[in-house]
Amino acid sequence: MPTVLLLDVSLSMCRPVLQPDIAEPYQLRNLAVHGLNSLLDFINQHCKLEFCSLIIFSSSCEILSPFTRDLESVKKALLNIDFYDKTCIETALGSTKNAVLEEWGGSVPCQIILVTDGSTGIGPNSLKQRLQDIGTKTKETEQRFPLPFPFPSKLHVVCLSNPKDSNLQVSIPLYQKLIDMNGGNGQVFVPEGNLNLKTVQQMFLKLAETYYRPFHGTLHCGNLNCNISLSPPPEACEKINDFDSRKVEMSTDILICGFLDINQASNPPALSRHLVLPIPPQSLKEEGKAVMMKQDIDASDDDAVVGNDEGKQPSFCVLLHGSLKVEGMVALCHLGEDWYGMLCSWADSKKKSNLMLSTFEPGLEVVPWLGKFTQIGPASLLPELSKSVTENSFPIKLAEKRSYAQNCVVWIRQMALQADIQKILRHARKLPDKTQNFYKELNKLRRGALAFGFYELLDGMAIILERECTLLPGSAHPDAALQLTHAASALRSQVYRDYNSSIKPLCTKFSSGD
Amino acid sequence: MSYPLSHKTVVVLDHSPHFLAPSCQQVEFDIFTKAHQPGIIPLAPITKSLWTTVVEATMEYCRIVWDIYPSGKLIRFVVSDTEAHCLNTWSQQGQNLGYLLEALADIGVPSQPRKKDECSIMHGLTAAIKALCECSEVQHEKRTSLTENAGSVVNRGRVLCISSVKSESHVRTLEKCFLEALNEHNKLAAGSDNLMPVHQCEFTLILTFPIPTSEESTIHPIQRRELSPVLTTEVYMSKAGRFLAATLCYLVQRHFNLASTTVTGIPMKEEQNAKSSANYDVELLHPVGAHSEFFKTGFANTEGAHVKTVKEGLEYDSVILKWCTPRPSTVDLQYCTAAHRITPVEVNSRPSSCLTNFLLSDRAVMLELPRKSGSRLLSHMLVSHGGEIYIHTLATSRSILEDPPSISEGSGGRVTDYRINDFGEFMKDHRLAPFKSELADGELPLEKAKNRLSRQTLYWPMVISHTTIFNMTPPLEPLLSLLKKETLTTDEVIDCKKVIYNLIGMESKGTPLPMPVLGTRGKGPKREEQYRILWKELETYIRAYCTTAEHHNILDCLLDCRKPSPDSDSTIPSNGAKVSVVTTSTGTRKAEKGFVKEEKLEAGKTGNGEVGWKERVSQFSDVDIHEDGGNSFKVPPAKKIRLGLQDDRGRFSGSQSLLTLWTNRVNAEHSKRHREFSGRIAAGSGPALLYQNLNSDQNNQDDRHVIAQKNINISGFVKGNASHMTYIKEEPQDFAARFMPCPDGEDIQNG
Repeated sequence: MPTVLLLDVSLSMCRPVLQPDIAEPYQLRNLAVHGLNSLLDFINQHCKLEFCSLIIFSSSCEILSPFTRDLESVKKALLNIDFYDKTCIETALGSTKNAVLEEWGGSVPCQIILVTDGSTGIGPNSLKQRLQDIGTKTKETEQRFPLPFPFPSKLHVVCLSNPKDSNLQVSIPLYQKLIDMNGGNGQVFVPEGNLNLKTVQQMFLKLAETYYRPFHGTLHCGNLNCNISLSPPPEACEKINDFDSRKVEMSTDILICGFLDINQASNPPALSRHLVLPIPPQSLKEEGKAVMMKQDIDASDDDAVVGNDEGKQPSFCVLLHGSLKVEGMVALCHLGEDWYGMLCSWADSKKKSNLMLSTFEPGLEVVPWLGKFTQIGPASLLPELSKSVTENSFPIKLAEKRSYAQNCVVWIRQMALQADIQKILRHARKLPDKTQNFYKELNKLRRGALAFGFYELLDGMAIILERECTLLPGSAHPDAALQLTHAASALRSQVYRDYNSSIKPLCTKFSSGD
Repeated sequence: MSYPLSHKTVVVLDHSPHFLAPSCQQVEFDIFTKAHQPGIIPLAPITKSLWTTVVEATMEYCRIVWDIYPSGKLIRFVVSDTEAHCLNTWSQQGQNLGYLLEALADIGVPSQPRKKDECSIMHGLTAAIKALCECSEVQHEKRTSLTENAGSVVNRGRVLCISSVKSESHVRTLEKCFLEALNEHNKLAAGSDNLMPVHQCEFTLILTFPIPTSEESTIHPIQRRELSPVLTTEVYMSKAGRFLAATLCYLVQRHFNLASTTVTGIPMKEEQNAKSSANYDVELLHPVGAHSEFFKTGFANTEGAHVKTVKEGLEYDSVILKWCTPRPSTVDLQYCTAAHRITPVEVNSRPSSCLTNFLLSDRAVMLELPRKSGSRLLSHMLVSHGGEIYIHTLATSRSILEDPPSISEGSGGRVTDYRINDFGEFMKDHRLAPFKSELADGELPLEKAKNRLSRQTLYWPMVISHTTIFNMTPPLEPLLSLLKKETLTTDEVIDCKKVIYNLIGMESKGTPLPMPVLGTRGKGPKREEQYRILWKELETYIRAYCTTAEHHNILDCLLDCRKPSPDSDSTIPSNGAKVSVVTTSTGTRKAEKGFVKEEKLEAGKTGNGEVGWKERVSQFSDVDIHEDGGNSFKVPPAKKIRLGLQDDRGRFSGSQSLLTLWTNRVNAEHSKRHREFSGRIAAGSGPALLYQNLNSDQNNQDDRHVIAQKNINISGFVKGNASHMTYIKEEPQDFAARFMPCPDGEDIQNG
């Protein structure tokens, strides 16, 4: 997830840090840069594809580095920082919100790391005052305050301050309040021990190790498997439904359950997407086995020595990706308890394609057209007879039709009623060819009128039909007149005021008997 | 758990004679004769009663809810006149339009009662509160579940009442009575096992009246307010007819958290003039989530994409999205962040039904967000799945996965000979499908699918250069596919064995293996070497799938037929089936056993036993004469065998004596008549060993060591990924049988 480094550049960051054994003391800002550098190095090493942005703030804000994967450029930007007036955290959070929304929209989770010296500002715009204002619940202040962020996020506050500092003791609850307002994801970091280069670095590395932990797992397809890492690392997530809630976490064993055509999957909504990057088997033991295997199968092979070159070791991910791409298919995966997703070949606008994991929302029935995941099984096990039946493939067909698919009766607009009457008359003029359609539409009208208590319509329709009868041309089929008269009188009859007794075509000597 | 208010709605309709009054909205229904017959005077317009317009509007409310939420949003109808009539219950079967329409037809229009005063909307409201206290199916399930949340199920619901009262004081009285009734029923429900008190209730009262009216001014709509911690109320005023329908359409959006999208610029052919096409708009409703991105980013405001829609005096927002003419079927996967069901606002208008029919015919339409800058941004997609139409929200902002590394740059990326096509076929064989019911063995279909995958990948080399057998499948089928089956029939075993014999034939004829030339190797290995590798891999393959007696049968067959490799030939001279049994002392039990079984199967296949085997015996003797010609103490040269192998039916003949053949034949005939104990089959002809696995672990380790060192053909089998290899547990005596000269060999002969 993209990271915003939010660095306090108020004047107080230029305070020196008194250390007994060093003659020329560091300033707080030096410590901040040192810590941020070690954090960036960690990210660069473990989460290569992460984006970072550097925003500095005092009473105003400036984006020093837009979101980039080039973390060296962020480090460079850290070297040239000027320092300004006072700390105003609200402004900082507001700018962060806008920067993230502009860049990533409202659904990409982000981490915001606020680096400050433990003082929360003074005056009416101090954090303390602002949080009090919100407590009084005037709507305006509440709306203006940037928290909670409209995107999923973790907010960390890193304090460059001696843990015993009395100022800090006042600030920590305020910081915690900010984190809580933002949904509780995040942490306040305080150095362990006196403030110096070492403790600051440790604090930043602790943050890195906790919140930038790469994900390593294994992708299984039966007995074929591959060590993988996911980028970005998956987050545990909680989904609250009407009557239950599910908290899920990605298992380190991702199991392929089977395969679907891309059009069968039909663009299911994704909760998150991750690149699946194969990693070469690390342990010596595995390598040893691989060598033995190769010798065994292909003992005469001259190049039986398996090179350590990782590109040359076959990887199941590459095979899977190639086949998914060629066949236009996706693989349904089980990610953890009640959590599923799919693997597919994905290409950015450029030619480079890669294997991607899309996670679904947690739950068993989250993609309606795929049905309940546990009820999905191998197509080859379906009885031979039913294989061709479309019912037994995706998407799952509905038992009942929705209103737009079933020609339902809505007469709120006059036009709709007129259209229904017109349909009946159109069939009436083609009697007896359209006898069945005529009665079908007539009964639809009749049932509508009965349900709505619109009996006048039945009488009106009867009159129209009788008139149609008199208007029949001489060339008309004799059955037409008989059916029209029959229908008209049926509409008036009390018998057909029963919703379920349909008017049936009159049996005449002209009708074919069915 | 959100326990939303919208889970339960009770609609209370006033069925008092007052609703017989005409709504004063006239319906022109006889417009069609005018054009045809100038002489005819059209029928006078008719008027819907208040009751009709109420039913129409509430049905529309339900239609929208159930189109978008087919389950979980329950609506009950209560009709109130001199008493309350409940038209349906909370159970799912009554939650559809057809059911309600029928019930409403049964109730009919209000009737003139004997005394007007007996009618009261309070009957209906009390019944509504009672209904709210009843558990829905899912509430009951959660309440009685044994989870920790069972006790904390919150019962929320809404009462939507359409009535007509004369004054504001009347409204106050109604509200007061409602609150009293609610408190009363909550007390009752608290003391009951089946009922739940209502924790939160919203009472929406809609007062409706005929269109030209003088009552309008006396009552004003009342904003939402809290009457008690449990009850909030609001009052709406609405003229009857389409005004009432518009009010309910507005309320359904608020009550169920829906949003509106207007698809604009839909090209449609004119009915009259097929050549010209005009553009139409269709308004759709869907859960608000489909637009959440817009609301979060404030995009809609800045870009002017959403508009205020004013309908019959009520104002709400509708996001305008532009129709994009669909391109012929693209099978790309779109990155969708959400998918929600939709329903058109005017379901049977011509533009709506054109759009829905278009989508139902499995075509997708992309929707574009109009932007001031003029750049195109596809933000949504309309598409149907199995007869239901959805709006998919597409991701529109920058992707964090942009510019990813190519898979070819990563681990395994430089390997070029992956079995891409073979794995493609494998994927097609493991396509998934929905299962209606559980499988016969009670296993979940998904578990079945996983287990099948495990079985089918027991041996699956990933690259072409690591395999021989999969590069020459035609001569190896059906063996390769049959072996993967969990159980085999006798016929299938025979088919597999045929493949093995066929291979022996090919080898002895010196047929080059139909393998693709591998570029990296130059000329590639010699033919014998190729066969050696082939046999070895085939054995590995069969061992990997060896689970049942039938599978073992095939493995035994292979082991028996294997030509000893040159090095093992010198060290262990008599390993394998090719050794003539006439050379006796080194004959192996295994070979013997395999042969017997084979005979049995062959005989079974020919069916007409007696004649079949007599013929065969004569053939065998011929073969033997050929092969035994003065060379019975040596392994006969391969070429000589081939002569015999030309013969279709004699293809399994090694060099065997007439006596052996005869004994085998007789044994086969005998064994046809009874079924051998599986223990004895496993033990071969020697005494069956009990507890044979007892010391196997240690033995295995020793064996493995030996194998690895000497590179003997009996290899472990590769399990799964080529990088992982495990040995199947070998039973120690199997090794003994295969490698050691068998002292009992002669006994078999003599017996």
